[in-house]
Amino acid sequence: MDDDVIETAAALPSGESPEELSARFERDAMPYLDQLYGAAMRMTRNPADAEDLVQETYLKAFGAFTTFTEGTNLKAWLFRILTNTYINAYRKKQRQPYQTGTDDLTDWQLHAAESHTSRGLRSAEAEALDRLADVDVVEALAAVPEDFRMAVYLADVEGFSYKEIAEIMETPVGTVMSRLHRGRKLLRELLEDYAIERGLIPAAVGAEGGDDA
Amino acid sequence: MVYGFLDGEMDDEGRRQIAQHLDECGPCLQQYGLEQAVKALVHRSCACNAPETLRVQIVTRIRQVSVTYYQREQ
Repeated sequence: MDDDVIETAAALPSGESPEELSARFERDAMPYLDQLYGAAMRMTRNPADAEDLVQETYLKAFGAFTTFTEGTNLKAWLFRILTNTYINAYRKKQRQPYQTGTDDLTDWQLHAAESHTSRGLRSAEAEALDRLADVDVVEALAAVPEDFRMAVYLADVEGFSYKEIAEIMETPVGTVMSRLHRGRKLLRELLEDYAIERGLIPAAVGAEGGDDA
Repeated sequence: MVYGFLDGEMDDEGRRQIAQHLDECGPCLQQYGLEQAVKALVHRSCACNAPETLRVQIVTRIRQVSVTYYQREQ
């Protein structure tokens, strides 16, 4: 058993008994298990590591629970612990180089002006993407660099605001927006490839190609 | 810029301007539809249920920590 966890829980300023504290934690924090597990799966990309990560996160969270102000954003607090635990414990173990891409806000500003598309089949494309299987979407997302992937996940699956994502990932809001932009663009391109592979979109649409002004 | 609109991050004036532009610009509207589709796709594809065994494991450990600490306090 982790001694740090026990020592952090040593003082109970709330006046609760230990049983009351753990009961309150269970009541308030355990409902987020599925969501934290989902996020952990996107980070670690395998169930065994995801389970370890979530378990470690909950233990850390419980150890720090007396420092959490009841009534504030528990979900974001838990996700931040998850993200930090992942970075400290798991990311360092990976042999792959740290994948951020470039968090360049100027780059984002340039891209924001782009892509009026004149490909006439965009609405058909949106429908085609919708027919992709969950497993294809998960696989496409797994191919997106990690920081971009997590920004997209936190926004699109968990509905966190840019400000909350900034707190969870401990980066400025501008960086969050840049990661979202690049992550979504990459993901969209990967999904289009999948849809073409699956025969959901014809490959030769808009072959003139020069229209993405 | 459309992401701010998509993600509900704009103030009223910004939202109004973007909405008006989308009303008037077919290609932008189609592009926005695509962005919406991708966002919805990620949302529905990534829902995950944690194994029940994990839930039990975590709750057990939390309670153990409490009990152990309580014994130390005595």
